Amino acid sequence: MIKLENISKVYRTKEVETLALDNINFEVKEGEFLSVMGPSGCGKSTLLNIIGLLDEPDNGKIELDGNPIMTYEDKKTAKMRNQLVGFIFQSFHLIKELNVYDNVELPLIYRKMAPSERKKKVTESLEKVGLMNRMYHYPSQMSGGQCQRAAIARAVAGDPKIILADEPTGNLDSVIGHEVMDILHNLNKNGTTIIMVTHDEILAKSTNRIVRLFDGRLVG
Amino acid sequence: MLKNYFKIFLKIASKNRLFTFLSLFGISLTIMFVMIFSMTIAKITSGAGPEAGINKIIFSERVKTKSTEQATKGGININSCGRILCEDHLKKIKNAEAISMYSRDMWEFIFNGKYQKKILTQTDAEYWEVYNYNFIQGRPYTREEVINKANLAVITRSLKELLFGNEENILGKTVRFTSMDLVVSGVVEDPPETSQNAIGDLYFPYTIIVDSDYGNIYTGGYVVAFKAASSKQFGIIRSEAQEMVARLDAADTTKIVFLSGPYTQIEKMMVGYGDPEEYSIGISIFRYLLIAFAFILLPAINLMALNFARIHDRSEEIAIRKSFGAAGRVLRGQFLFENILMTLAGGAIGIILSYIIVALLGHTFTLSVSFQSNVPLTFSFNILVFVAALVTCLVFGLLSGYLPAVRLSRMKPAVYLKGGEL
Repeated sequence: MIKLENISKVYRTKEVETLALDNINFEVKEGEFLSVMGPSGCGKSTLLNIIGLLDEPDNGKIELDGNPIMTYEDKKTAKMRNQLVGFIFQSFHLIKELNVYDNVELPLIYRKMAPSERKKKVTESLEKVGLMNRMYHYPSQMSGGQCQRAAIARAVAGDPKIILADEPTGNLDSVIGHEVMDILHNLNKNGTTIIMVTHDEILAKSTNRIVRLFDGRLVG
Repeated sequence: MLKNYFKIFLKIASKNRLFTFLSLFGISLTIMFVMIFSMTIAKITSGAGPEAGINKIIFSERVKTKSTEQATKGGININSCGRILCEDHLKKIKNAEAISMYSRDMWEFIFNGKYQKKILTQTDAEYWEVYNYNFIQGRPYTREEVINKANLAVITRSLKELLFGNEENILGKTVRFTSMDLVVSGVVEDPPETSQNAIGDLYFPYTIIVDSDYGNIYTGGYVVAFKAASSKQFGIIRSEAQEMVARLDAADTTKIVFLSGPYTQIEKMMVGYGDPEEYSIGISIFRYLLIAFAFILLPAINLMALNFARIHDRSEEIAIRKSFGAAGRVLRGQFLFENILMTLAGGAIGIILSYIIVALLGHTFTLSVSFQSNVPLTFSFNILVFVAALVTCLVFGLLSGYLPAVRLSRMKPAVYLKGGEL
C-alpha cells in the first residue's frame, strides 16, 4: 500500500540545515495498523507529511496504493490526498464555523458528488462513530472525545484507503482515548491501512507493528 | 460547495465585526459615489422634456482654424461655429431630418429692484423641430419671421411668472431685452434641470442681433444640432458634415479648418471643450476608464490590505481544507467568492445610501457638466446604472481579493496544523 524508498528531507534556513529524514526505507502493507514512535523532533511529523503528500521529499520515491508519485503538482497531490488519505489530528482541527455535518462533508465537497450521495456518506460516517445525535452541533458545543470522533468521521467519510493519525488520543483522557482507539481498530478490521504517531507505548503495542525513529533515521 | 462557502462567509463576517464593518464601509462609500454619478449622468443622457429625442440628435459645437503659410494674418482660433458656416453650409446637409443653429448667453438685468440672471437663447425656427418643447401658450416663431428679423420671443413659465405675475394670457405682451421690445409669441414649460442642450429662459430669432463674428466664416457663437430619423443616420451625417468642411478647407488657401463631430450627447461630454483637431473618442473613453479604475483602485487596495491581515486568522481552516483535498485553485475560488459576496453586500448598502443622499442633498451638491450647467444630483434607476454598480462591485471584489487569495492558496498546511503537527 505504501512504499518509501531512500526518502530524505532537509529543512534549510539562512543559518542552519536540519536533516529531518535520512534515507528512510520501509513499506506498509494494505490493511496494516502501524505505529510510529520516537522522541520529539525525530522526524515523525515530517514522515507523515510526506506520506500524506503535504510535503515533498528532497530525495527518494514514494508509492501510494501502487501509484508511484511522479509529480508534486498541487492539483494532482490534492486529488490523491482527497481520494486516498484521511487525516486525524491531535487537536482535532475541526472548522469552528461549521457544524459537525459540514465538517464531515468537507472531503466530499472536493469530489464531484451529488448532494444526496454526500448526505448518505456523511450519515454513514457519523453512524460509525456514534455521533448521529450531534450532527448539527458546533465544535464548541461538544466534548473533546466527541470532537475527535467527528474528526474521525471526517477522515473516513470519503472511504480513504489510508488513515494518517497524529497523536489521536493525545488531548483525551484514557477512557475516551480507548473509545477512539476502538473506532480506529474497527476501521482497520474493515481493511483501512492506518499509520499512527503516538508516544503511548500501550497504544502502540495494540497495533500490528511499531516503527521507531531517531534523528530522522529508522532504528530497531 | 457554494453553500459551504456561504455559511463560512456568514460566520466569519459575524465573528470579525470590525473587519466586516471596515470592509463594508469602504465598499459602500465607493459604490455610493459610483451610483450617484451614474444616476445623474444617466438622467442627463437619457433625455427629458425638450431633450426627449436626444438619442437621435448629434451636435457640432467647436471649430478650429489654423492659418496656413499663405495667410498674411491670423493664427489659431478655436470657438463655436460661425454664422456663415452654419447658415450657408452646415444647415444644407441633406441627410438630417432637421438642423438647428443656436447660441446661448447670460442675460443679467434688474427687475423690480432685484438683480436677475437668466439664460437667453438665440435660435432659428428649426430649433423648435429639433427639440420637443411643451408650449403651454402660443407658438414658436416661424422661418419667415426669423428671415424677416421679427421681434418675437418665446419665454418659459418661470420667466412669465417673474415678469407678469399671475396674468394668465401674456401673448402679445412685450419683454424688454437691452433696447428692444420683444413680443411674446409663446410660453413653454421650463426645461428640466438636467437639460444640457435645450436650455434657456428667453428665446428669440438669432437674426435680430448682428453678432460681432458675422464676418468670420468659420467661428462664432453657434452650436449646430442635427436631428436624424434614427441613430443609424449619424454616420452619414458626420461624413457629410466633414466632407463639407473638407471642401471649404480645400477652397481656402489661407486656413486649415477642423470641425468637431458631429457628436452624440455622451461623446460630447467625453471630449469636452478643447481642440477639435485633437478630439478622440477612443482616448476620451480610455481616460475616463482610467480615472474610474483609479477611483476604485484606492479603496480596493485598502480592502486588499485588510484581506492580507485576515489570512492569518484563516490559516488553520485553509490547512484543514488542503489536507482533505482542496487544491490551490479551489481555495482561491472560495476566497474570491467570499470577497465578492462582501463587495456585493457593500454594494447593496452603497445603493441604498446613494438614494438617501440624493433624496436629502440632491440640490445642495451639483455635478458640473458644462460651463452653463450645474446639474443637481438626480435620482434615476435603469439597467445601465444597475450594471455599472454590479460591475464596480465585481471589479472591486476581484481587485481586492485576488492577491490575498493567491497568498492563501500557497500556504503550507503542515506549518499551521499545530498541536500534534502532521
